[in-house]
Amino acid sequence: MANCSKVSRRNFMQQSALWAAAFAGGGALVPGVASAARDKELNILCWEGYNSAQVLDPFRSSTGATVKAESLTNDPTMINRLRAGETNIWDLINVNNPWARKIMYPENLIKPIDRARFEPYFGKMMPAFNAPYKWAMDDAGANLLGMAQRFGPYSFVVNTDKISRATAEDQGWDLWNDAANDKKYGVQNSDDWNVFDLCCIAGFDPFREHTEEDVAKYTDAAKRVFKGARMVGDLATMNQALVSGEIDFYLTGGTYSCSPARADGNLNIRAITPLRGPMEGGKGGISWIEITSVVNNPDLSTHAENFLEYVQSPEMSHTVAFAEGTFNPVTQMGNADCFKLFNKEELDIIQWDSLEEEMARSAEYDIVPDYDKLLDIMTAAKRETSGG
Amino acid sequence: MNRLFKTFGPGPRLAVPIMLFLLGGFAAPLLAVIAYSFVPARTFSLWQKWSLGNYVEIFQSSIYISFLWSLGLAVATVVILAIVCYPVAFGLTRVFGRWATLITLLFALPLFVSENVRIYGWILFFIKNGVLLGSLKSLFGFELESIVFTTGLTLLGMVYVYLPFMLFPMTLGVSMVPQQTRDAAFDLGASRWQVFKEVDLPLSMPGVVIGFLLTFVLAVGALAEAKVLGGQRVIPITHDIEIAFTYAQNWPLGAAVSVLLMLVVGTLVLLVLRRFDLDTIVGRR
Repeated sequence: MANCSKVSRRNFMQQSALWAAAFAGGGALVPGVASAARDKELNILCWEGYNSAQVLDPFRSSTGATVKAESLTNDPTMINRLRAGETNIWDLINVNNPWARKIMYPENLIKPIDRARFEPYFGKMMPAFNAPYKWAMDDAGANLLGMAQRFGPYSFVVNTDKISRATAEDQGWDLWNDAANDKKYGVQNSDDWNVFDLCCIAGFDPFREHTEEDVAKYTDAAKRVFKGARMVGDLATMNQALVSGEIDFYLTGGTYSCSPARADGNLNIRAITPLRGPMEGGKGGISWIEITSVVNNPDLSTHAENFLEYVQSPEMSHTVAFAEGTFNPVTQMGNADCFKLFNKEELDIIQWDSLEEEMARSAEYDIVPDYDKLLDIMTAAKRETSGG
Repeated sequence: MNRLFKTFGPGPRLAVPIMLFLLGGFAAPLLAVIAYSFVPARTFSLWQKWSLGNYVEIFQSSIYISFLWSLGLAVATVVILAIVCYPVAFGLTRVFGRWATLITLLFALPLFVSENVRIYGWILFFIKNGVLLGSLKSLFGFELESIVFTTGLTLLGMVYVYLPFMLFPMTLGVSMVPQQTRDAAFDLGASRWQVFKEVDLPLSMPGVVIGFLLTFVLAVGALAEAKVLGGQRVIPITHDIEIAFTYAQNWPLGAAVSVLLMLVVGTLVLLVLRRFDLDTIVGRR
């Protein structure tokens, strides 16, 4: 208070300028304040769900930390934000399976987590995720790179009142090769996944090197699919169009994208995994598994690993599965204490009845070697068929 | 310090804070975008060899289609809005009397609701079995084709969203026409058409031109209408920019397209301003 009494107009301006400069410099001018803040904050870059109040608020209350979570809806953007220098901002990153092992760890964007502390949690997950779980480990199998939680098959979605589940599973990707289906389908603007699906429609595995012949087939498929699409839009638009009868089916989609419609009582809106397809072993669908990793932040929040452990509990796993937005199975459903928290309605929403067989028929999401080229072809196809 | 104070008058000195703000908030990001447009595709550092590669790629690709859609839709929006808004502006100024304030409020109210919310509202209204078609079907047995996800609805959405930006400058322009001048024209035997052509339109041009420019610049950058109402049946240039910065992670290409868009829009605006000097038409010289 004594200091306050000495504030004059002149030194008020000087102090204000100093604080403004310190603020603008992101705390760089006051290192003591900046470093102290890292045990009072946690920053998470994630898909939607982990940023919901149901997940974050209990952690905030128990730790007193300021937890900020930014939600994005595509992996490449999140990875490239770390590449662009945001490793000093984020503490945790939540993306799909191949990125941690194949891209982020080799590029030093993430760091291993304490294996002794976290590996026992994999023992409580569904059997397919038991340790050592491939996508959570580095190539050498020595370091644990993150924790697996939400997952699901992700191929396409149909209105079973218009196309039966059996027909859709049997026809698979050829639904898009049948000219009679023009204007009966939509395309969700999930462009990275649409690249995978267009490869499947063109008849080859997206996750291997592609020949010139493959690329030509892909180009043709891209033009055909976008020309025949009733519309391209976000998942809310897709589900709305399915429910209203504007379209009969859409790609890309799965449990994740159609769960809001199913939660609204539309159980005729169903994610489909084709019975067969061009992926290794004749698999017809593609699945995703999120891996949440600790960012290689030089000034990492002391709460980063604690948060990873916090979301492993049966109660919080259930909350993560049914956080706001979309709803998904979680690996922790392998634990009876977690599974019993899901009621019948929730199990119906996430298509628990066919989950195991659909995952078995799905190849796991992987890096597409020539993704940039295929994405550019798809973007051009979308543009060149516009107005049609 | 005193010398500095003497060299620069109070005007420039007082302008320093806003100049710094504009430098940091407007000029710096703009320069960053321009700089990024010269670095190699799909890279993230400015400190490497610069080239015109991204511009070459643009001219060799089909991006011109998106440019044409954006410019075409923006021009169509401006033309439709000019035809729709002038009579309304005239009514608000000269006809509606005490109801003018209420009607103005009705036109302004949508601005208080997020554009995305309004556009998604339109989808619920127009979609098959939605508010309009569902009601017609259940009440009267009519089953009409849905108009969502079409280029027409994209244009209609743009007209709706940008209507206030044309209407209010235009109303201001019409209100600047002195009633005595109109009365004098009528007294001298001018017909209604002659008064409109010789008095109303020329004297209201400041508002009309500002409305044209404002609406055109906003409409050429429109994205949500084509994405949501149009179901991406049309890909505007802003969509290409968005894809470059997100899924493609090709910031340099996105930056180059942005620079070209700024150049095209800037050139068109300058051409209009050469034809209609704003200072002259608002009566400053």
